[in-house]
Amino acid sequence: MNLNKFLKNSFLIIGVVSVAATGCTKLHENLTSTLSQTDANKFSNLFLQAAYNDLGLVYEDPGNVLQLEEASTDEMFIPIRGTDWYDGGYHVQLHLHNWTRNSIPLAETEFTILNKTNFDATQVLGTNGTPDQIAQARFIRAIVLYQLLDLFGEFPLRQPNDNLLLPSKVYSGDSATSFIISELTSAISNLAPGNGTTLANQDAARALLMRVYLNRGTFKNAASPTFADADMQQVVTLGNQVLTDWGYKWAANYFDIFNPNNGATTESLFSLPNARGANTGSGFYGNIQNQWYATLHYNSYDALAPQSGWNGYSTMGEFYNTFGVNGVTPTQTVADSSLDNRLGEAHYAGVTDVSGIRPGILINQQYDEHGNALQDRKKLPLVFTNASEVPASIDVSLLPNLEDVGYRIIKYSPDFTTGAKSYQVPGNYFILFRQADVLLMTAEALMRQGTPNNAGALALVNKLRVARGATPLTSMTLNDPNSVYTANTLLAERGRELYWEGLRRTDLIRFGMWKTAWRLKPADNGNYYVFPIPDADLSVNPNLIPNLQGSNY
Amino acid sequence: MTIQRLLIRWVSFTLLCVLFTQTAFSQTKTITGKVSDDKGAPVPGATVTLRGTNAGASTAADGSFTLTGPANATTLIVSSVGFTNQEISIVGQSNINVTLQPTQSNLNEVVVIGYGTARRRDVTGAVATVNAKDFNQGPIAAPDQLLTNKTPGVQVTTSSGQPGGGTTIKIRGNATVIAGANLPLIVVDGVPLDGRDATPSLNLGTNGLPFGTTPSSNPLLYINPYDIQSMEVLKDANATAIYGSRGANGVLVITTKKATSSGGTKIDFHASVGDNVGYMKTDGVMNASQFRAKLQQYNLGSAGYDSGYSVNPLKDIEQHKLLQTYDLDLSGGNDNGKFHASILAQTNPGIIKKTGLDKYLGTFNGTYKMWDKRVTLDFNLIVGHVQLDQTLITNTPGAGGNLMQWILNWNPTVRYQAPDGSYIGQAFTDVNPMAALDAYTDRSNVNTVLGNISGTVRLAKGLDYKMLYAINEGSGTRYTDFNGWIQGVQGISATGLGAISTANITSQTFTHTLNYNGDLTDKLHLSAVAGYEYWTTNFRDQTLLGTGFDINNTWASRVSIRNSDQLTDASSLSSSPANPQDPSVEIQSYFARVGFNWADKYYLNGTFRADGSSKFGVNNHYGYFPSVGARWVLSNEDFMKDITLINNLALRGSWGITGSQDFPAGAAQTQFNFSQNATPVEIAYGNPNLKWQRTAQTDIGLDFTLLKGRLYGTFDWYRKNTTQIVFQNQAIAPGPGTNGKEFVNLDGNLYNSGEELSLGGTVIDKPDFTWDLSFNISHNKNILKNFNSPPVITGVINGNGLSNTYAEEIANNQPIDVFYMPHWLGYTKSGTDTTTASSYFAGNPNPEWLYGLSTTLRYHKLSLNLAFGGAGGYKVFNNTALAVTNIGIFAKGQNVSKNAFAAGETTANGTVFSDKYLESGNFIKLRNATVNYNLGNIGNFKNASVYVTGSNLFVKTKFTGFDPEVNIDKQYQGFASVGMEYLPYPTPRIITIGINTSF
Repeated sequence: MNLNKFLKNSFLIIGVVSVAATGCTKLHENLTSTLSQTDANKFSNLFLQAAYNDLGLVYEDPGNVLQLEEASTDEMFIPIRGTDWYDGGYHVQLHLHNWTRNSIPLAETEFTILNKTNFDATQVLGTNGTPDQIAQARFIRAIVLYQLLDLFGEFPLRQPNDNLLLPSKVYSGDSATSFIISELTSAISNLAPGNGTTLANQDAARALLMRVYLNRGTFKNAASPTFADADMQQVVTLGNQVLTDWGYKWAANYFDIFNPNNGATTESLFSLPNARGANTGSGFYGNIQNQWYATLHYNSYDALAPQSGWNGYSTMGEFYNTFGVNGVTPTQTVADSSLDNRLGEAHYAGVTDVSGIRPGILINQQYDEHGNALQDRKKLPLVFTNASEVPASIDVSLLPNLEDVGYRIIKYSPDFTTGAKSYQVPGNYFILFRQADVLLMTAEALMRQGTPNNAGALALVNKLRVARGATPLTSMTLNDPNSVYTANTLLAERGRELYWEGLRRTDLIRFGMWKTAWRLKPADNGNYYVFPIPDADLSVNPNLIPNLQGSNY
Repeated sequence: MTIQRLLIRWVSFTLLCVLFTQTAFSQTKTITGKVSDDKGAPVPGATVTLRGTNAGASTAADGSFTLTGPANATTLIVSSVGFTNQEISIVGQSNINVTLQPTQSNLNEVVVIGYGTARRRDVTGAVATVNAKDFNQGPIAAPDQLLTNKTPGVQVTTSSGQPGGGTTIKIRGNATVIAGANLPLIVVDGVPLDGRDATPSLNLGTNGLPFGTTPSSNPLLYINPYDIQSMEVLKDANATAIYGSRGANGVLVITTKKATSSGGTKIDFHASVGDNVGYMKTDGVMNASQFRAKLQQYNLGSAGYDSGYSVNPLKDIEQHKLLQTYDLDLSGGNDNGKFHASILAQTNPGIIKKTGLDKYLGTFNGTYKMWDKRVTLDFNLIVGHVQLDQTLITNTPGAGGNLMQWILNWNPTVRYQAPDGSYIGQAFTDVNPMAALDAYTDRSNVNTVLGNISGTVRLAKGLDYKMLYAINEGSGTRYTDFNGWIQGVQGISATGLGAISTANITSQTFTHTLNYNGDLTDKLHLSAVAGYEYWTTNFRDQTLLGTGFDINNTWASRVSIRNSDQLTDASSLSSSPANPQDPSVEIQSYFARVGFNWADKYYLNGTFRADGSSKFGVNNHYGYFPSVGARWVLSNEDFMKDITLINNLALRGSWGITGSQDFPAGAAQTQFNFSQNATPVEIAYGNPNLKWQRTAQTDIGLDFTLLKGRLYGTFDWYRKNTTQIVFQNQAIAPGPGTNGKEFVNLDGNLYNSGEELSLGGTVIDKPDFTWDLSFNISHNKNILKNFNSPPVITGVINGNGLSNTYAEEIANNQPIDVFYMPHWLGYTKSGTDTTTASSYFAGNPNPEWLYGLSTTLRYHKLSLNLAFGGAGGYKVFNNTALAVTNIGIFAKGQNVSKNAFAAGETTANGTVFSDKYLESGNFIKLRNATVNYNLGNIGNFKNASVYVTGSNLFVKTKFTGFDPEVNIDKQYQGFASVGMEYLPYPTPRIITIGINTSF
């Protein structure tokens, strides 16, 4: 066949075939590697898992809800360290209570991710899940609704399969509290009994219910909360149920509650699990390693994992002193048993021998695992100070280069099980509800009930103190209106037990101490009880209440 | 395979093709001669035919031709692009010398318009043509760089000095808000491309890695710049509306070289070698002695920061490997069949070690006529292999930095290696750049085929039917390793990284067109096109990333095996993105164009396209895009006949509607993926009403030629109104958070309006000395109106202490991506920054002015060509100066810019975000300068020339960073950013020496 003939024939064939193949087509879009709504609804168990995972994202990284709840209080301060930690000044604004409407990007982020959890839990309700699955989803949703109410004073809510472009319904004040209580009350009987698991359970739901009842008056009127006797009775009843269930199985060492093998701790009611070294899927589970990254100095530890820290979160001497150690400056040679063991500073197997780090509050000269003194980036001794060098009146633009300022806190201790791998992807579980909080809430309700039972409360608190190696208190008030730092108060005891666990801001408001002065913060001149609802959300949902109280917003 | 071996294989293959197409025919008469231009220079490649016969030839490099044909032939026709056709009687002659007169401002040149061609003088739309002779010179990685500053209204921004780095092309302003959109539709030899290629992307910002996304590469790397005949930029609606829902951002039409000869075989050869001689500009970090002086000045002499050595990381990171380019180009055939083939082998090492671009590209195209020339078969095939070597220069590194940061910040008094060869250790933000360079390897290999075949049947006189099928298939693999023995790198040290990324793209086009050209009366001419097109594309892109290695993880465990070859050793593996395969896309279109020409004075042209796209919501599957254009050639009117000053004067006007569908496939449907630890996440919720973004454009233009072609130019005024803006709405909370998006068409008007002027001319026109100049300038004003949504933030700022900081907004009554930031008030008494508490609209990142100037001076055989380009009326944000090279970093013992030491500023000053770092972007660049010497014919080598080209020779700007012409991708949640500089791959200054010859 010659070329021309060949081409003629080929052309004819190609022409005919392609005309036939490409006539009018009905346009079709095949989703290939994503699921449609119909496909996705087949996975109620996975939707439920998504909601659990969301909790990890909300709580495990201290740069989320925990920072809003702690950096705004007497327990935590994040100074500007030269070129680090400026971030537009919002870390300092949090501490000073002088933020403005759009100045805390973190609050906007939290509104979004809390509502994502809210949404993902609601998705489960739209599937034909089992009653237990539905109850678990309701519990998870109640956690974030409580948190939204606490941080923003309101929360939006959707029904499954709502049109996401239409405004959602919004709850605030007492109706919000009542809604959460009704959700938990109806869910509780379908949850698994007991506690201590990584799944929603009855005791965890009770602990959350206690929080809601205890703070009901706060959510109603943050400036001057009142406490109904019936609510307090509910707290005591629920607390006794949980404590009886638990049987006071104290951890041998306070830091065992947070160590890399804490999945088995007896003090947890409900925890968020992490798998050591396994970051399957996209991204870490909840970034619990940031619990130590956020506070440690760059040079705190670098044998296996070169960036031990981001040199950020710190606490101050005044908070440290509420442990009753005024004048006793502990050093590296202090006897390991001489103090309230929640203060730490003791040799802790698996951590101190590997890194030199002593869990608890890190003060003064820092050492490596061989006992050699560490240096900071200017080759000066790495000495964590009590923040006394920070000027009393903080002007964001005036802060000097505060590299070593502030005591540091290691509560969740780094995981060195498989060296750098576990240091970066650790196995510590995040404890979301624990027995000691239930005990302290019960004691508080006893003191706040119509007929206060202060002796009963003191007995409960001393039970805890003895378990932590602290001397029992002889007397205790709820709080000292003149100072957050007065040691023999229930507020201080909550601080000593629950520091950096994301509860302090709520406590200070409930105890009426939010506007008082503390280290580096003068008394408030505005109403900073809640964080502003993000502009972007306000503009699309007219049901949201712009909670812009006070002249400073 | 080495270049040499490839060349041998290619040559033998193409020679086969040549032999295959040679056919002999009986000869009865032989004509020889020579074709030269009006200045006596030979005209190679001119077509010489005998009227009324099939005989034809093309002139050789010296202008000579030999032609055989029937003895009774009487007239010789000589034609060549850029010259007026000549007809010469050959009765009684066998040796003819022909002098061709140049056409005035190329009014007769053939312009490629949508689905057809037209003579320049017949075009009613705004179409700019850049021909090969006007292209930018020097090492060109991709075709778009050829036309930087060559035509008004077109902004080509290269985002990095990495060979093969991505570019942003904007035609007539900023017309969309979505990241990755804004690109014009690119059409190669009639085939509309997808806009993406198969170079795998890689995100080093997942799994706890701090580096962010890696820069994109140019999607046109597989197109050989030497193969391009011309590029047309279709700007106004009359030109683009025939491309319908993809025409709104303009259309770039690339036409590759075809065989122009009939008879004879021509071989062109091009070779060049070069070197990256240095950086065009640096941001001025200090050398060791300057660093020491500053330590003393700021009382840091005793801080232990001076280690006593002197190094210059920016210099030490350079490599000087030879850039090499070899291009061989064959064409030939006869009256019934013609072919063109070429091979390009190119190695283009980057100025930074371990980076570069190697290319092996082949093209083969041809035309065959059969059945008494009633049927024409055309085919084009481009096959390319591209190898891209990159280093760790990423777009959005946070506190951890990337290689550029480590280079800039490295203390210049510290040596890199101890005498035993081990790298000197580092603290957190002070990673050893040489160690990082050593530990990081990143190579992509991409193979691409772009082929089309078409048949044209002449159904009747003037009526042609054409069917075209095209396929664009690309597949790429990328292997990335970062060895864990590196110290001080978060997410890498003591764990290591190995990644395999792949990408695949397949696009197919079927087009049927019916084309009519004919005279309805002796004055009224009709041209019409009607057609149907079906286009489909599939794209897949996936990365498998492992961390936690045992190999290469410590100095002792260094092995010759790469991490990416031992992913089974990784303790954790992740796959991203969660939805690697894009939803399929189908576009089905019907289109038509009708043009009337009355006596070459009045032209009326209308186009219409109905576009159906599977990407649109089910309620809006079809869109309709009309346009009209008119042209009045005043110079052909009788009243103008006597004005000899004006040779051509034409007024154009057009209006039309075009669309843009630059949103991801699947955007109209609700979708879930498994992006979060194996649980379904709602990533998008459906909008069945989603449709194209609509742009209505009005254009008024004036074309003129004066003084017998000594001066010619074009002026255009345009106004574009973009509505139904494609926008990503977040769900109203509670919703899927930042994961969930709904694409909507927003109310609002995005206006781009402006003026464009291009002027060309011959200043001096002597036989042995000529001076040509061409100049273009354009002005564009970009503003968003009636935008009722809350401002959208974008323009991510990166660096230590700069979390949650954004520099740009999409806001009402402002240009797109307007800078929005606090105003810097000066220094406090203690020497730290003070700023306003609130932010303000601080400047426009979109250049208002673009200009280009090219000039050629020729004296005898020596010529000099200079190409300048510039932009003005815009700002650039220097994120590097804010985050990396400020005085506070110096206080930590790291190197910073010489510019960082302001009077009154102390080393305690932190990274305070403000307009202090917002700088004027205005610049003028000498893009390339070429000295060419025409050697003429030397033995078998015809029309040989040698040249030296310098690229990026200088830039004049007040911008303190590396290159004001920068566009690091700082998109935020899918909204694009503009004019942000952050740790870019520096632009190199390149010198190349080359030869061109034919034989």
